[in-house]
Amino acid sequence: MAPLVKVTDLDKYFGRLQVLKRINLDVQPKEVVCIIGRSGSGKSTLLRCLNFLEEPSAGTIEVGGLVVHATDRGDKRRRMVHDVRLKTGMVFQEFNLFPHKSVLENVTEAPIIVKGMNKSKAAEIAEMNLDRVGLLFKKDEFPNRLSGGQKQRVAIARALAMEPQLMLFDEPTSALDPELIGEVLNVMKKLAQEGMTMLVVTHEMGFAREVADRVIVMAEGELIEQETPENIFRAPKDDRTRALIDRYRTGGAE
Amino acid sequence: MDLQDVAPKSQAELLYEAQLRRDRQFRTNVAISWLVLLLIILLIFSGKNLPFGLTGIQLDTQFMKDNWRFIAGGIPWTILISILSIILAMILALLAALGRLSKFPPFYALSTFYVSLIRGTPLYLQIFFFFLALPQLGIDLPGLWAGVLALGLNYGAYMSEIFRAGIASVGKGQREAATALGMTPRQTMTRIVLPQALRFAIPPTGNEFIAMTKDSALVSATGFVHEIMWRATKVGRAHFRNLEALIIAAIFYWIITIILSYLQSRLEARLSRGDR
Repeated sequence: MAPLVKVTDLDKYFGRLQVLKRINLDVQPKEVVCIIGRSGSGKSTLLRCLNFLEEPSAGTIEVGGLVVHATDRGDKRRRMVHDVRLKTGMVFQEFNLFPHKSVLENVTEAPIIVKGMNKSKAAEIAEMNLDRVGLLFKKDEFPNRLSGGQKQRVAIARALAMEPQLMLFDEPTSALDPELIGEVLNVMKKLAQEGMTMLVVTHEMGFAREVADRVIVMAEGELIEQETPENIFRAPKDDRTRALIDRYRTGGAE
Repeated sequence: MDLQDVAPKSQAELLYEAQLRRDRQFRTNVAISWLVLLLIILLIFSGKNLPFGLTGIQLDTQFMKDNWRFIAGGIPWTILISILSIILAMILALLAALGRLSKFPPFYALSTFYVSLIRGTPLYLQIFFFFLALPQLGIDLPGLWAGVLALGLNYGAYMSEIFRAGIASVGKGQREAATALGMTPRQTMTRIVLPQALRFAIPPTGNEFIAMTKDSALVSATGFVHEIMWRATKVGRAHFRNLEALIIAAIFYWIITIILSYLQSRLEARLSRGDR
């Protein structure tokens, strides 16, 4: 099967600092890939390059058959990037719900504005997705009335309403109180079981171990190891991987 | 009935009530002091003999009775010119703020040029420019519109900073979320950023409006808009009763400001209660 995501020789610089070095990565349809690594290892930047929230400095990004080279310019590139974003849903650490819109409007906004869907159809899809994350009963609330975990679940529903082929999660539970992490991880687990292709940047080793098909370890802008969870957690090859896993084993967060 | 209603008051409850009493006492004392200050001013202008051998200033009360209505006739003009000017100012301020954030050099330049030019010259000069300098070029604007243009252009330049701050107050995450959902930069601006930015900009815009009702008095200097200040100086000069006329005008401006400030505080309270 052709990979859904194909990253080739991706470099990213912030000014003179190189944060991604020659990244190569394939993700198969329905695969769940967790990216772990210390902060500053480049894992979030890699994720953000996939939907062009960060501009790649060099290399090629391919999502669902759409190919964008870092050197591409102009209208054609803009259209390609737009189409990549349509195929991709993203969930942020800080939720980033729209505070001036109700829960339902948060979810219907993009289908109406971006896809030109009519309101009732958009509401129907929104309600289905809010139900998927267990928050249909909150549809008329405003985001400030939700807990962190509920906000993040709405953010997931908002991304799903665009019916993406690929979901990107950028540390989706890092801003949550410990007791609220579980409800978000459960929604993500369910999504994985339903066959969604997912790329998850996370510190939740338990989730990575249980749900991921493959775990990618990053350090200093490089992809240092990619393996099944068992192999990564039982027999890490790289010292940096071992240090990372040991730290989490002893350090509280699983 | 709730059990709480009959239970003895807790210490927290008692402390809270004491705090409320102190707050109330403070407000009462302030109100009394205001009344005393007002009374002193009234005494000064009473024309009566005051303690310590001082004599109050004698005002021509007959003149005031005869002319306050004429001066009050300027209130609608003051309000009208202020409302029209603030609308123009808000439009210009928003455009200037967007220009300041634009990556397109001509927009950016136009915005900074406008703000620099207006802030670099006196409002008084700008008003005369529209009333006196433009007619020399054959452009004869009706008095009201010349005033609105001058005030609107001037306030727009200063208020662009408010709108810029409003736009800046909307976090980067909001833009990223919209972008990730496939919205174009324009959709992101109009649907996500501006609604939040405008809400942020409402209270300071209210302050600017209150300031503008008073700056509109400068328009009187040209003699074309018969607002409060123009009327006060007209009758004051005609009867050589400037003191009385200006006192009447001052009272009107003051009352307008007090009313607007009250409305402003209500508006702010309501906005802060909303969903933030």
